[in-house]
Amino acid sequence: MNRIPALLVFFLMACHIGFSQLPLIDKSPMDMSYYPANYPMLKIQDKLTEPLVARVIYSRPQKNDRVIFGDLIEYGKVWRLGANEATEIEFFQQVKINNISLKKGRYTLYSIPYPDKWTIIINKDADTWGSFKYDIKKDIARIDIPVQKQPEKVEIFSLYFEKAPGGFAFIAAWDDVKVYLPISLQ
Amino acid sequence: MQPGTMLKYTCPYLCNNQFAMFRKKVYLLLFLFPLLFSCRQNEAPKKTNDVIDSLQSATINEYAPRDQSPMDMSYYPLDYPVQKMNGTDSTGPVARIIYSRPHKKGRNIFGDKPESLCQYGKEWRLGANEATELELFENVNISGKNVSRGRYIVYCIPFADKWTIIFNTNLFTWGLQRDHSKDIFKVDIPVSKQIPALEDFTMVFISTPGGADLLMAWDDVKASLPIDFSK
Repeated sequence: MNRIPALLVFFLMACHIGFSQLPLIDKSPMDMSYYPANYPMLKIQDKLTEPLVARVIYSRPQKNDRVIFGDLIEYGKVWRLGANEATEIEFFQQVKINNISLKKGRYTLYSIPYPDKWTIIINKDADTWGSFKYDIKKDIARIDIPVQKQPEKVEIFSLYFEKAPGGFAFIAAWDDVKVYLPISLQ
Repeated sequence: MQPGTMLKYTCPYLCNNQFAMFRKKVYLLLFLFPLLFSCRQNEAPKKTNDVIDSLQSATINEYAPRDQSPMDMSYYPLDYPVQKMNGTDSTGPVARIIYSRPHKKGRNIFGDKPESLCQYGKEWRLGANEATELELFENVNISGKNVSRGRYIVYCIPFADKWTIIFNTNLFTWGLQRDHSKDIFKVDIPVSKQIPALEDFTMVFISTPGGADLLMAWDDVKASLPIDFSK
């Protein structure tokens, strides 16, 4: 009867050896993008012409020869728009997306990809992991945007901002897909 | 410890009936499996770096090129987002650090040699790329001084026997330049030997009674910033 505890002790010891490492570099490394683009760099160079508006923090999976949309990421299902922790967007001033006003603050971004469009979801629940506990009740906005096919495939999932008429745009690109979400400044 | 050695010591009271050999094999397997796994974990950083480097050179991404020193974040409570997902979080997040992780790549990191990457007595951004950002979701106490909830950039001045850690309020900046008029907090903490040496710069919160240590470790050096959340 003392074998089961002994086994358990071994297992716990072995697990301890195995899992008590300091955090390794993530397979899908984290990154951030600002609007204005490269804000931190422009700031130390005294080249800022616009105030800080937005920042996205996300993790970057790689294509690694896989079929991404429709296979790895199924059509019609909520995707965390990245990897690991849920993707976080922060607005440093009030903005407007599709006539919906968003107050300054931190939000979580999700998307539901389809072959021809993506539904972008802006949700109030921050500091969470993935889309596994996505709570529709905390949605602030859902916006449909068309998918643009691009000939040059993007190996590493990319989120970034670009200047656009009346404000700026939030862009997501991976594999042969690119989507463009216009955001107005108020 | 060698798995075989362990087996020898544990066998006398495990191998005392007719299924001894069978059990021995099962135990050996149970033993070896996690140990192998842990060895693989030890190797992982190097492999990952190789992957990162090869991707860096092999792929062109006109939108947002991948960083050589990838960003990472650490929460306190540890793995808060996972806890939240699992419904095991009891409070909100208390602290979060966002930093980039440079690799040693055979270089001399901390020292006063001409080739030392982080020179003794000179400011270092505690990471790479953007300035390292600490967000405190509660008021805390560090070395007897109150630090209000909010966001700070954190940087360091390394010496052979201590690091000076500085909090600054000039947010959203690149790590190479600092506005010293916005320094709000400064504390010296001792350094100790990191064994084994770490290839990738690492920051992580480690629970302590009443708070957490922000552990900062790279190469063969580590330092801990004690944060008290109870006050």
